[in-house]
Amino acid sequence: MNRVKVLRSICFLLRWASAQPYAPEQKISMGREVTHALSVAFCFFASVFAAFGQGERGAITGTVTDQDGAVVSGAPIQAENKKTGTIFKAATSTTGKYTLEQLPAGSYELSIPRPEFAYRRQTVVVHAAQTLRLDIRVEDTSLNTLGEDRAYFAGLAASRTAPTATAPRTPDGKPDLSGVWQLPRILDPEEPPVLPWAAAVIKEWTETNGRDFPRGHCLPDSVLLMSRFGINRFVQTPTHLVILNEADIPGYHQIFLDGRGHPEDLDPTWNGHSTGRWEGDTLVVDTVGFNNKTPIYWLVVGGATPHTEKLHLITRFRRPDLGHLEIEITFNDPGTFTKAWKMKEISDLVDNDEVQEWICNENNQDVEHMVGK
Amino acid sequence: MKARMSFLVPVLGLLLSAPVFAHHSFRAEFDSTKPMEFVGTVTKVEWFNPHARFYIDAKDETGKVTNWNFELGSPLQLHRQGWRQDSLKVGDQITVEGFLAKDGSKMASASKITLADGRTVFNGPSTDGKPAQ
Repeated sequence: MNRVKVLRSICFLLRWASAQPYAPEQKISMGREVTHALSVAFCFFASVFAAFGQGERGAITGTVTDQDGAVVSGAPIQAENKKTGTIFKAATSTTGKYTLEQLPAGSYELSIPRPEFAYRRQTVVVHAAQTLRLDIRVEDTSLNTLGEDRAYFAGLAASRTAPTATAPRTPDGKPDLSGVWQLPRILDPEEPPVLPWAAAVIKEWTETNGRDFPRGHCLPDSVLLMSRFGINRFVQTPTHLVILNEADIPGYHQIFLDGRGHPEDLDPTWNGHSTGRWEGDTLVVDTVGFNNKTPIYWLVVGGATPHTEKLHLITRFRRPDLGHLEIEITFNDPGTFTKAWKMKEISDLVDNDEVQEWICNENNQDVEHMVGK
Repeated sequence: MKARMSFLVPVLGLLLSAPVFAHHSFRAEFDSTKPMEFVGTVTKVEWFNPHARFYIDAKDETGKVTNWNFELGSPLQLHRQGWRQDSLKVGDQITVEGFLAKDGSKMASASKITLADGRTVFNGPSTDGKPAQ
């Protein structure tokens, strides 16, 4: 029950009580008047309070689609109050829907802070106690290049018919995660709770269109164990899980399963140091020792956040059946985030393809031409 | 060479999640507000990483011939979609749609290639690596 209903109920009870006839033996007539006056006063203030809480704010809701009419998931949307400068944020759901709630009435500048979306900022007016319906159409300019266009990546990440037979196990009884896994799909993405310095970095990245991301320079960007950019092969032995990725630089991650801990004299590196242990049928991978040179591509659709050397990743892998891999990543980095946050993904087994070769620095002509803005 | 003001690449399927870029940010290098169309002759094809490339000699309105450098996806991506390094050949007469580099260099990102007979190359998947109808 919301607060308005609570206040109305209390008001009704007070009015009802003050309206009841007194018993003949009741002699204090002042009590009835006071009760009645109090009930009237309470109901007045309650109605004002309720009206203020409900009526001074509004909302904007709608669906974001691209130039092809496809819904856009995980897109950040923000509304900046033009009077106060307060910024309200939301992200589209997997069905492309967004809702910006509890907006004080007024004018807002609506924007989608994602560099690949050509979307002109627009001013909208939010009225009290009203929900503004606003469907947004963006033009995604990021994936027009022949060969690495939108359809290609949609194919890599698209849900496929994967076998649901029992997941395999190794001779020692552990779940066997081995296999070729497609580019993971993020489920219910949320925006990282970044500290102000990180928000400023993201803003700069947005303004410069990701010009300085290490990947464009053929340097690693693989904080995550499964790359955002290609398919993966898991090779599991009793002592190691090796993840090969065709679009990663350098193209592999190794996870130690032999019970060792992290070295005490860990030198910060691009990929960090990963150890894994089994919690039931879930492999829990602990990764530390990162340098701070890479963005975390927290969304496959392009969201990126910086991090510090304090980054501590916990990646949980579970293979519920033969054809599916569930991934949950917890990001701990008190130098960057106000609290730990999580990302859940799922990947389907690929039975008709293999990890292939990509040698980034063979003929990288792009660096000198990436002007940014 | 002539400018085209309207440009759309037909794409099939629902895109729920895909990377913003494979190698680098598109908008850091190319101008999505400058869709262009080029007509010319293929002078070179480079089946290299991180991007395959091809070059054409294109004549502008004044008759001046300029060699343009066009970016494609990686050989890995093109090969997976059925294309081969001889799918486009030196000497082919083609029309290319693409987006110009922001820095003013003679580079562009290719978004559609049409041969003189109307067949297309590298557009979508191929079953045999040959230009499609």
